[in-house]
Amino acid sequence: MSGAELLAITALTVRVGAAATLAILPFAVALAWLLARRPPPGESLIRALVALPMVLPPVAVGLVLLWLLGRRGPAGPLWEALGVDLVFTWWAAALAAAVVGFPLLTRACEQAFADVDPRYEQVARSLGTSRLSTFFRVTLPLARRGVLYGTILAFTRRLGEFGATTLVAGILPGRTETLALGIYSRVQLGEDGAALTLCGVSFAIGLAAMWAAERWLRRESQ
Amino acid sequence: MTDPAVRIAVDLDRGDFHLDVDLAWEERVVVIFGPSGSGKSTLLEAALGLYPAARCRVRLGGAWLEDPEQGVRVAVEERRLGWVPQAPTLFPHLDVAANLRFGLARGDARALARAVEVLELSDLLDRRVDALSGGEQQRVAIGRALASGPRALLLDEPLASLDVGLRARVLRHLLRVRDELDLPIVTITHDPDEALLLGQRVVVLDGGREVASGDPAEVLWSRAVLPVSAALGLENVYQGSVTGSSAGGAVFRSDAGLDLVLPVEVAAGERICIGLRSEDVLLAADPPGRISARNALAARVTRCEQSGPDVFVHLRTDAGGERLVARVTPAAAQMLGLADGSPVHAVIKAQSLHRIA
Repeated sequence: MSGAELLAITALTVRVGAAATLAILPFAVALAWLLARRPPPGESLIRALVALPMVLPPVAVGLVLLWLLGRRGPAGPLWEALGVDLVFTWWAAALAAAVVGFPLLTRACEQAFADVDPRYEQVARSLGTSRLSTFFRVTLPLARRGVLYGTILAFTRRLGEFGATTLVAGILPGRTETLALGIYSRVQLGEDGAALTLCGVSFAIGLAAMWAAERWLRRESQ
Repeated sequence: MTDPAVRIAVDLDRGDFHLDVDLAWEERVVVIFGPSGSGKSTLLEAALGLYPAARCRVRLGGAWLEDPEQGVRVAVEERRLGWVPQAPTLFPHLDVAANLRFGLARGDARALARAVEVLELSDLLDRRVDALSGGEQQRVAIGRALASGPRALLLDEPLASLDVGLRARVLRHLLRVRDELDLPIVTITHDPDEALLLGQRVVVLDGGREVASGDPAEVLWSRAVLPVSAALGLENVYQGSVTGSSAGGAVFRSDAGLDLVLPVEVAAGERICIGLRSEDVLLAADPPGRISARNALAARVTRCEQSGPDVFVHLRTDAGGERLVARVTPAAAQMLGLADGSPVHAVIKAQSLHRIA
């Protein structure tokens, strides 16, 4: 395996993970806040739906996504009209990662918001701060540790997403081949050395991200 | 009929607790007094608008903030009430200065500067919140409320979490806030000393209802409230200044003109508050001769009341006309033949006078 190939796989993996994480972050944060502070009617059903991608076989999630994104699926005419084909692109890989990672991030953020004493928010409002401004000036800063930890956890977890990604994005070298997919295809081809190299890269990225998160949390709490 | 200066009516059901009060007053500084669980904090929170489900009428600082009849319900952030709840109150992710400035969008820099001055906060500004003592945290929280330009101040047990030494300091700052800023104040306490020192009026709550209200000393020493207030440590309280020293002690003169010798040195001119437990006051029918007690005061009985096993003898001192209550046994009261108007001598050891603030 060439260095350029290795770099491409690594860069694509990080890009997919980062794009997926950033895309779901606002939604996960908003939903988490809602669940922690103002549980809507049907709260249990919403929680169950959010958790679904976590408990379904990833391949099943992939199949549903393939159906939704495919030209022969219910949204087929729409994709046709827009002239876009998401299947077997890195967008599809990012989408798969986003769907699978959403429950993890939402749970982490919800816990982080639940740990913020509502009294701080009440005090902020008594000082003339609107609900929205209170969220950005008080709630989010106080929950930042949990939110950041959840974000990094979701990002690193997503580096390894395999089942859903293979179905919607395939394993196209240079286009959708992420680290997890790369390891699998190298093993299939009998290139154990290359597979182990990719394993090492996965290991390094995961370790670096978690180490950075732990360090940041530690510095914060001092 | 004209509106009262303040009206707080709350009808709130919280499961097993029901708060149902309708309070109105004209005084600027009012203390809500009662044992824990009486609904004091809930009352303030309802006035602030934190219970949308409660039926409330709230008038504070010259404006109706909530009144279903007029269709008025001002949002929490628009009420301009300087609320200091029980800890934790300071934002832990901000330093002292940023906490003080938090409500500045609504307040103004002059109010902030004044709060920093009155509460002596200038040395704390760049400190982290978790590096402050409990008393400093309370002062900053009060300062932050003042800097937000409030129409009234709502204080929820501002001294409850502090130990005795810190309490005295913060109490002195609270007295400065009361005297130097012309702001309506509603403060909560379960400490009779605070109620007597701070309030122009006291409202007593118990079990979610108003039990009594009026002049703090009248109400707290009244027969109806005494069982509660005595259990919470009701004592005689005097505010005044130190006028000089006397053989290792200080001479204190109350604002009404009663002189008392204290056991400790305090600089002349300093304003202080002192407390004296009713059971530490001895009564004598005749002027005491040579005794060790440093204070012997001529006084007249204004009323005698039995409460539980004790008789509370209410006196008016000849010098200054201060209220003084002595707690004696029924046998002692009978032996002295106390009746309304009888002259007595109250004997008080300097050691039993303690400084509150």
